[in-house]
Amino acid sequence: MYQSFIGLEIHIQLATQTKIFCGCKAAFGDEPNSNICPVCMGYPGVLPVLNQEAMRMAYVVARTLNCTLSERSVFERKNYFYPDLPKNYQISQYEHPLGRDGFVDIEFHKKKRRVRIHEVHLEEDAGKMIHAGDMSLLDYNRAGTPLLEIVTEPDLEVGEEAEVLLQHFRRMVRYLGVCDGNMEEGSMRCDANVSVNLSGSGLGNKVEIKNLNSSRFVRKALNFEISRQKDILERGGTVVQETRLWNENRDVSEAMRTKESAHDYRYFPEPDLPPFITDDTFLQEVEKGLVELPVARRTRFIEDYGLSELQAEFLVDERSTADFFEQSISLGADPQSAASWLASDVKKLLNRRGESMGSSVLSPERFAELLRLLDEGRIHGKIAKQVLEEVFASDASPAAIIKAKGWEQITDPAELSAYISKVLEAHPNAVEQVRAGDAKPVGFLVGQVMKATSGRAEPQLLQELISSHLAVKVIHVLSFGGAISGVRREDGLIGPGELFDLRTEFAGDTGLPAELRLEEIQLVAFLSEEIAPADWAVLISEIARRIEDSEAAGIVVAHGTDTLAYTASLLYWFFGKARIPIILTASSVPNDSERGSEKPRSEAVANISAAVKRAAAGPAGVGVVYGAQEYSPLNLKFERVEEGADRAGVFRTWNEIEDPRSAGGSQASGAPASLALSNLPGPIYPAPGVEPTDRKAVQVALEEALSRCFIVKAFPGMRGDHLITLMKNGVRYFVLELYDTGTASVRETPYSLRAALQYGAANGVSFFCTSQQEAMVDFADYVTSHELWREGAVPMGRLTTESAFTRLIVAQLGSEDELEVQRIMEDQ
Amino acid sequence: MLTFWKNVLENSPDAYEKAVRARDAHIGAFLEFDPKRHLGNAPGEVASAEKHAVLAGLPFGVKDNIAVDGFRLSCGSRILENFTSPYHATAVQRLMQAGAVPVGKTNLDEFGMGSSTDNSALGSTTNPWNEEFVVGGSSGGSAAAVAAGLVPFALGSDTGGSVRQPASFCGVYGLKPTYGTVSRFGLVAYASSLDVIGALSSDIEVLQAVYDVISGADAFDQTSMDPEPIGRSSADASAEDVLGYRGKNPCLGVLKPDQLELTAEVSESYQDCLEGFRSLGYEIKEVSLSMLEYVAPVYYTIATAEASANLARYNGVRYGRRPDFAENPDELVRLSRDEGFGPEVKLRILLGTYVLRSGFQDQYYLRAQKIRTAIRKDFEACFGEVDMILTPTFPRQAFRHGGEDMSPFEQKQADKFTASANLAGVPALSFPAGVRQGLPVGMQLVAPAFGEARLLAAARDYATLYQPEFAPGYERPAGEQ
Repeated sequence: MYQSFIGLEIHIQLATQTKIFCGCKAAFGDEPNSNICPVCMGYPGVLPVLNQEAMRMAYVVARTLNCTLSERSVFERKNYFYPDLPKNYQISQYEHPLGRDGFVDIEFHKKKRRVRIHEVHLEEDAGKMIHAGDMSLLDYNRAGTPLLEIVTEPDLEVGEEAEVLLQHFRRMVRYLGVCDGNMEEGSMRCDANVSVNLSGSGLGNKVEIKNLNSSRFVRKALNFEISRQKDILERGGTVVQETRLWNENRDVSEAMRTKESAHDYRYFPEPDLPPFITDDTFLQEVEKGLVELPVARRTRFIEDYGLSELQAEFLVDERSTADFFEQSISLGADPQSAASWLASDVKKLLNRRGESMGSSVLSPERFAELLRLLDEGRIHGKIAKQVLEEVFASDASPAAIIKAKGWEQITDPAELSAYISKVLEAHPNAVEQVRAGDAKPVGFLVGQVMKATSGRAEPQLLQELISSHLAVKVIHVLSFGGAISGVRREDGLIGPGELFDLRTEFAGDTGLPAELRLEEIQLVAFLSEEIAPADWAVLISEIARRIEDSEAAGIVVAHGTDTLAYTASLLYWFFGKARIPIILTASSVPNDSERGSEKPRSEAVANISAAVKRAAAGPAGVGVVYGAQEYSPLNLKFERVEEGADRAGVFRTWNEIEDPRSAGGSQASGAPASLALSNLPGPIYPAPGVEPTDRKAVQVALEEALSRCFIVKAFPGMRGDHLITLMKNGVRYFVLELYDTGTASVRETPYSLRAALQYGAANGVSFFCTSQQEAMVDFADYVTSHELWREGAVPMGRLTTESAFTRLIVAQLGSEDELEVQRIMEDQ
Repeated sequence: MLTFWKNVLENSPDAYEKAVRARDAHIGAFLEFDPKRHLGNAPGEVASAEKHAVLAGLPFGVKDNIAVDGFRLSCGSRILENFTSPYHATAVQRLMQAGAVPVGKTNLDEFGMGSSTDNSALGSTTNPWNEEFVVGGSSGGSAAAVAAGLVPFALGSDTGGSVRQPASFCGVYGLKPTYGTVSRFGLVAYASSLDVIGALSSDIEVLQAVYDVISGADAFDQTSMDPEPIGRSSADASAEDVLGYRGKNPCLGVLKPDQLELTAEVSESYQDCLEGFRSLGYEIKEVSLSMLEYVAPVYYTIATAEASANLARYNGVRYGRRPDFAENPDELVRLSRDEGFGPEVKLRILLGTYVLRSGFQDQYYLRAQKIRTAIRKDFEACFGEVDMILTPTFPRQAFRHGGEDMSPFEQKQADKFTASANLAGVPALSFPAGVRQGLPVGMQLVAPAFGEARLLAAARDYATLYQPEFAPGYERPAGEQ
């Protein structure tokens, strides 16, 4: 077994107005050699004068990295000849850097890591030499810009962690306002030291890698270098201590110089600059420069505003977004809706217009006003989206736009009731039909009121008022395949059929509320094992439309037992926050299976009856009813554990797994265990990308998402190369069902996951890991688990395979790229 | 004489120029001379303070390692032969603001590295007292220009004695101020922790005025500072208090002459001089500088280490001499430096690179720094007992061109009296103490930091006994009718 050690040297160009030792402008992208003077050009006789602002920023960063700040820091000359270095020495710090012994905490795939900071020192940057044909050109604009170098201890293990650390740094420096953190433009740069050795033998021979121009290259280069060194050691060789350059075109590192030819920099204290001594005034300035960092702000957002990790993560990613959010909150906006609007429609519009939060015409004031109008019911969601677009288009306030466009909804119950009364009077037959028990005419009557109000009736209010006028409660029962709607054919096999006539079946059910009006909608006719993306698209769009138009007070989905765990979790990810109850139910045999016999009828009728009652009574959100039990839609397992007379126990939920990471253990005490969702990830819709009412769009998106993912169960003797074949055929995400808390074979044999994981890591394929047993996957216990983590497998914690899989599908619908999918998957 | 100097540029600049050119044809003090280039060109506001009035109108020479906008800044080196400065050194700018006019650039040992000015790659300078003898160095051109009456004063730079030693060879005053009191901005660095801009003059009042004008903190040099008065009380500003003497009479420390390896002439002069001070009422006290024998090795270790970095910037890439053709950037740098630097400069760069190698710093550079601290403490201990120390400026008088009297190694060894003041950062003044065998002898006074006023006061006192002489034929300023 080998261990790897990675240390980083991160260079940050400080965003001062002027250079570190002269008054020249420090700017990127100006005409070559336009920001230069005798000092930064190293003319004879000139002297450096330290930029105090650069020093302040440097100390702010060191302080943020928990370093011990030096009361006295000393500049030294680092001597080496290179044409882009005007003085042929670089003024840097060596023996007495400004900060030492700090640390930063990161987390990769649930594994937390404290990375120690060896030191932080300030220096001047060099110019740039460009080779063009047979000429070498020099641009000294960059020469003398302040550069902060942060050196970590070799505390990282895999390239992915280095990538996470760099992203952490990027965000940190942007928050502190000391750098834009742009690696492509070189304002943040990174060199890495890598060594590999047998476990327990300490550090190996160190190789330095340069030319890492993005955090992605850092990850690739480090993982390449780790396996290169491992190969050498495995063949009995010795790793040469050297400097290597990352070749991003060939994805390999190439030798640059060995230790023997390394520079002797002949450091000595810079006689032109006195030691920098910190005084109280300076230290106070440094303290003033500290800000609440993204991680702390994220935690606060989750705690103070009840946001999900993902919402909080999105908001804090850019300081301007987080500031915008908090300004909106202080102006009275609801945190939940502000967060979801910012992450979806606002983000979409800003991206489309190439603008950024805080610098567009959408001020926090206008945004808060929009949410207030929505909250007061003066506009509904669809109109709100139009208003938002109009704010950008016409640079006007939402209230002014609504007034000008006549978009304000009727939210006054009295006013709306007047319309309703008129419509009911005009259609006595329909009213009579409803009174007789039919639900269908309710939709017709709602449509008439909408027509009468030119669509300005507030849908939810309309639904409530019309229900109370008619004294009915409308529940829509969507038939979505399965034995519950199946029939036993003449050959004895069960095939698809239509849902039985509820009114007939429920005739004798006295437990049903009198005001209940049921509408049965046959969405598809198949057995639920036959679900295709198009079917889910129908289900999703039909539910979405009913929620949006407030057509029903509740929805029941009649489903088959076999795939219920998938559809239930899928609907939860989509509609977990819906304002009406969405209840799934099922039956394992058709209603008519025992027809004509003496035996009791199947559980189908009882289950639908229970589901309807539950849908009518609330609470809102997605639930599952089976037998006498209510289950959580997440982590449902179809296990047929004990078949009682009422078939209770056909399902179990795996929600009660103790989470070793959360203090206090099981969260389920008190509440019904099966419903305990508090420690589970929240719904992820709404997200930008797909409009759920658009069946065709949902279908296309689902088909694309499904063609990119695959479920694999680990088994002894599994060949990793079979998964490579799948990856070559377009699979980008696996849900990998491992043993127990996340173990599987990663031995060096074809009959293990190793080859697949390595191929996947090199090609950006993700492995989201669940358990075959009822266990929390966190890779904490076993050597093989740690190897899986090293190779990039992502633990799914307490999610079952089915729930992880549907989350993966919905995550893809709401994401712009694979990185975002990964982020959603890891947000638990 | 001062009246002449104050009016010459205004009244007869052409005659002055002609006279200087004629005289300098024999001396070679100037590398570049143009008295009219900066006439009426004072940058910024002209200072009107009374104490500066003495400088108004005076022409002055500037050692060619100090920047004067529009004049070349060759440092006596091929590598900068055609380099023209785009800016003024702070010291030059302050003198111009006080009304003085820089008229030309004076010769020097290349980059200030030498004791004769014979190490200049761009011209030879000869001693006005006797053309067979060197002027000293490295500020030899400035010393010669003053001694030959070409200018009333000149700026020099002093890293290990480069103002004081040529002053003593030419029979003029040479002041090395406290390290940091004069901005080094515009002084081409040789050894940054030792370099100081100083001044040479045959007139002690002019020297005082120059020091007053050029000293003081400068935003362009973070190692610069305002002089702090060392007097006990500024409210009761009697001369004694301002100078901060410990007793009623100034107390002068002197060294035992037997181990100083002086020539007979210098040794005699030293005795005469201390007796002279005694006759003026100075208390004479023998002191010992135990570290004196380490001064030259420590000085050359530190100076060359810093020089190896300071001179790294001359690579032919951005300015200065470069070859017509080079295969690649590395070769361009190599050829530029090979062709551009003279042998003494190369020697010192190599030496400095050697002492800074990693793994050898403990043995050389860091050890030298420790001894430097000991030398500073040595001086501090002495100044606990005496107000000033009197030493010879150099163990001998001017030597002949060509190194037959004194090898380059002996020249380096002989820097011990002057270089010790640089290592300690304290002010020192070389003043004319007499003429022997037709050549001047200079003595050096060293004071604690910021003690420039003491040095000048003592020199003024001594001038009552011995009024400095001019070289034969140079008794009158160039151009004076």
